[in-house]
Amino acid sequence: MLTERARAAGRAWARLAPGARLALGVIAVFVLGAVLAPWLTRYQPWQQLDVVRLKSLPPSWAHPFGTDRFSRDVFTRILYGAQLSLSIATLAVLVSSTVGLLYGAMAGYTGGWIDAVMMRFIDAMLSVPRVLMLIAVLALWSPVPVPALVLLIGLTGWFDVARIVRGQAMALRDREFVVAARALGANPARIVWRHVLPNVLSPVIVAGALAVGNVIVLEAGLSFLGIGVHEPMASWGTMFQDAANQFVSTWWAVIFPGIAIVATVLAFNTLGDALRDLLDARQLPGQPAADLPEPAHG
Amino acid sequence: MGRRVAARLGQAVVVVWIVATLAFVLIHAAPGDPFSFDAPTVSEAVRAHWRAEFGYDRPLATQYLLWLGNLAHGNLGYSHSMHEPVRDALAAALPRTLVLMAVALVGAFVLGILLALFQVEHRGTRRARWAGNVALFFYSVPDFWLALVMVLAFAYWLPILPAGYPVSMATHDYMAPLAAFVDSLRHLVLPALTLVLLTTAGIARFQRNELLDVLPLDFVRTARAKGLSERQVVRRHVLRNALIPTITLFGLSMPTLLGGSVFVEKVFAWQGMGWVVVNAIGLRDYPMVLAGVLVGTVMVILGNLAADLAYGLADPRLRVD
Amino acid sequence: MEAVTLLDAVPTARNRCLTFRHDLPLMRLRRFFACSLPLVLVAACSRGEPTAAPVEGPDGGTLVVAEPGDADNLLPPVTASILGHAVADLVYDHLAEIGDGMQTTGDVGFKPQLADSWTWAPDSMSVAFHLNPRARWHDGVPVRAADVRFSLALYKNPKLGSAIAPLLSNVDSVTVKDSLTAVAWFHAKTPESFFNIVYQLWVLPAHLLDTIPPERLATSETVRHPVGSGRFRFEKWDPGSQLVLVADTGNYRGRAKLDRVIWAIAPDNNAAFTQLLSGEADLLEIATPDQLKAAASHPALAPFVWPSLQYVFLGMNFRDAAHPAQPSPFFSDLRVRRAVSMAIDRHAMLRNVFDSLGAISYGPFPRSLATADTTLRLPPYDPAHAQALLDSAGWMAGPGGVRRRGGRPLQIRLIVPTSSAFRMSYAVLIQDALRKVGIACDIDAEQFPSFFAKQAAGNFDLVLAGYGTDPNAGGAQQEWGSDAMPPGGLNYLRYSDPRFDAMLDSASASFDAAAARRYASRAYQVIADDAPGVWLYDAVAYGLISRRFHLPAMRPDGWWQHLADWTVPIDQRIDRDRIGLGSPTH
Repeated sequence: MLTERARAAGRAWARLAPGARLALGVIAVFVLGAVLAPWLTRYQPWQQLDVVRLKSLPPSWAHPFGTDRFSRDVFTRILYGAQLSLSIATLAVLVSSTVGLLYGAMAGYTGGWIDAVMMRFIDAMLSVPRVLMLIAVLALWSPVPVPALVLLIGLTGWFDVARIVRGQAMALRDREFVVAARALGANPARIVWRHVLPNVLSPVIVAGALAVGNVIVLEAGLSFLGIGVHEPMASWGTMFQDAANQFVSTWWAVIFPGIAIVATVLAFNTLGDALRDLLDARQLPGQPAADLPEPAHG
Repeated sequence: MGRRVAARLGQAVVVVWIVATLAFVLIHAAPGDPFSFDAPTVSEAVRAHWRAEFGYDRPLATQYLLWLGNLAHGNLGYSHSMHEPVRDALAAALPRTLVLMAVALVGAFVLGILLALFQVEHRGTRRARWAGNVALFFYSVPDFWLALVMVLAFAYWLPILPAGYPVSMATHDYMAPLAAFVDSLRHLVLPALTLVLLTTAGIARFQRNELLDVLPLDFVRTARAKGLSERQVVRRHVLRNALIPTITLFGLSMPTLLGGSVFVEKVFAWQGMGWVVVNAIGLRDYPMVLAGVLVGTVMVILGNLAADLAYGLADPRLRVD
Repeated sequence: MEAVTLLDAVPTARNRCLTFRHDLPLMRLRRFFACSLPLVLVAACSRGEPTAAPVEGPDGGTLVVAEPGDADNLLPPVTASILGHAVADLVYDHLAEIGDGMQTTGDVGFKPQLADSWTWAPDSMSVAFHLNPRARWHDGVPVRAADVRFSLALYKNPKLGSAIAPLLSNVDSVTVKDSLTAVAWFHAKTPESFFNIVYQLWVLPAHLLDTIPPERLATSETVRHPVGSGRFRFEKWDPGSQLVLVADTGNYRGRAKLDRVIWAIAPDNNAAFTQLLSGEADLLEIATPDQLKAAASHPALAPFVWPSLQYVFLGMNFRDAAHPAQPSPFFSDLRVRRAVSMAIDRHAMLRNVFDSLGAISYGPFPRSLATADTTLRLPPYDPAHAQALLDSAGWMAGPGGVRRRGGRPLQIRLIVPTSSAFRMSYAVLIQDALRKVGIACDIDAEQFPSFFAKQAAGNFDLVLAGYGTDPNAGGAQQEWGSDAMPPGGLNYLRYSDPRFDAMLDSASASFDAAAARRYASRAYQVIADDAPGVWLYDAVAYGLISRRFHLPAMRPDGWWQHLADWTVPIDQRIDRDRIGLGSPTH
């Protein structure tokens, strides 16, 4: 069993495009950097080294990415920022994928007027620009703790997933194995759990990979506006907020975290693309699954 | 068709009402009010006086009904953050956002479709892969970061363009019309370019996938069999069919554009809807925020509707009710 | 330090439109101090102040002011924005002008403005102002004594809600003796009676305003097109875009030299600065240290300095943030308050935030105050001592480096308004400084309205507060006195010390300036020893102006005070200086 899985994984790795392998490598580097941060740097992310003499230093051997205006080491903050930014993104996407999966499966499998009402609700929610909605809630109630931020981002991001899943679930409802299960008197919840969910999982995974990149950008944007993650915690977004006032003179404090974000998001998007190509082969009828028509900046 | 549009419009009104009500409750529940602004010597009594004058001391339900009633009469209230009636503030801010969005949309669609064509015509080559990578890169860049880098690069390191900011009438009133126009264009370049780059990437990716979907179809094979060159096949036959879904993107990209323009407007100090609303939230300018939310929602809904109609027009099979 | 006379207490909110990235400290403008400001300017400033030329010069020229944020409204008694005040000063007239000596006692140094001359009643309880018969409103109607009567009544009308009304409380009324003679009646004989009515009151045109109910006036259309009698007349205001004044050529006090003054409203301070750099604008009122540095190499710009009466401090709440009726579990203990004071390196933080442009705060007052005492004994920066004090207060080292007492962590919440970039920086610096002595500090950065609400409700442990103080010694009473508890009062920390109250009472009651200063000093030392706050900085501001302009000495209660006498030499004029008085061509 184990070896079979390992062999399957090996085959999948071999089928992955070279770009995707690179992307996995980049993600691994950032995850390792985040996890090993205490051993990779001798500073703390909130540590102000000397607020008069060591502030706003350009990159040097001692501080490869320079220091920010509070004399904190930018390299250190990027490493620790990866911890926060990556966990927020991953958790938020888990939340939205789960909610979207359950909601979509239920709507699609149930059908009828319940489905209609559920989909109208999604239509309504999609009419409010997500960024504006988040800005309004966060700006009015800031500062929100990080778990609440994760929930808010997660709960405003599941509508697309739900739509995809619902489409798949509707198609599945009339497939033989589901019909057979129903005929055998299986409990609907069990049918959804055993037969529908596993079959709609792959587009959700693809959408999830793309969404992680999306959420990293979103969190950075909110923190840039000063309403996401708060001091002294370092996320990649808060680093911009610190630096934006003086980004002309202290450009390194803006450029380096930006590169970190772009590299990570690029990796997740590449991975998402590659996963889609990989899973498309045994794709169910319908649209190219996770082809979210909108760019990531939403 | 007409009935469908009417039904959609009816739904839209309900959606707008729900969103507006949610926004109303949300903003009134938040701490602070329009008269808790930064002026330490304005006494509590004076603030209370102003509150009473603008009716912010009445019960929430009364305020809600008043607001709805005024809204029905087209009266959006007085904006305390812009110091003028909300209608006037909107009239100034909305065109700025629309200009930015229009330029971005047109630019992004032209560039995006061209980029996708290039990738498909040269598929399998190194050039096409690089084009794809460039598209993916801009697809992955945070909007505000790209905006900051643009300012850094073109307004400071290589100072050839102003850092955005729709320069006021203040200086334009006294310039020759042509000079003023050119100056406006110069101020538009950086923010518009930023938004174009951000939007192009998504459209190119989408268009490319659509093109690739059409490529294996029979009629393409027929065209190829007739001896047309690959370029002719793609431009004449594939593109025509693959464009339909992309056209609907025009309307569907409204939320993305609105979201993106919030950050772009912030960095470039472009006083459009995004800037005004974010500012108004900070100052608890209730009427302005609510109006902004309404306008944003209506724009998204209209975008969706337009996408629907465009799809119906482009694809006759969908025209049946 | 010279005895300082402070003129009035008109509130001047730094305009309300600033975005959260770039607001600058609150300033109170219409204040004066004759003290020696620490002119520790950056390199930029050593290149010379704006040319102080004699007032001779040709007519003409256009000044474009890059203004980050709009006017709130243009009605002098209720405007709370800098721009609103500038327009009031330029478009409207006072009965008399205070003169550059800025004396507030009696009528010494006051010069005729709307009133040619004035006659005191023998008992000094009233004064008759004889109006200049040539004075005209900009619509051609002559200025009459009835306008003065109308104006005072309007200011004092509670329905208008003017923040200036309390400052006119000693003026009972104005009566009309004849069309050109207005008599002001006082309640009591005080040294500043004349100053009160002359400086606080702008004379408004009764014939245009008296038909509008006072409660509607502030937002009425009429007020958006002010008609005054000053040397500049109002041309137009496009909210959010521009405000234009032009010279009133037939003015009874002489034509303004400049043709035109345009305020170009910018969305934020950065945008305003960009306009200045590109030459689209000529003047920026308040520049950040970063901007001053960037402008130092600009050949066409020179810096100038602004006074302010605001001081910023880290305040410690004496009450429990969650239950304001109960004492604070942290700061009701003097040892903890002193420990916080000693944990904070005020001078290093000042350098970090302001580079060399900062002005350290000496205590619970701005340095420009007459009673300011720059020699108070303040707790020194001494983290080791701070640790020892916390130990002795029972707050012992605990897990995660956070001190504990009886199972309760020493975890406190600092509120700060996001609208002030300076205070936001201080918050981050203070957080790390406190961490070093075992205090966990959460930053609660709020947009101003929420900040304000929390501050007023006492819902905080620490606050980065700014007080724009009143000029006399009594001002401190409104901020630290036992009678000034909220609601209603400004004593948000709920500090209370009878010794302080008594000492300050003695200072206010004293007719001998030196004695008053001594009492005030002792009162301040009481506060300094009680350590309810850490005194961070005085909000001194710097502006930038194009070297094209030749200006007489700037008056500290507004850079625009002598604007009508600014000139641009013919040979330095640029295109927009030649626009002239006509309307813009469209």
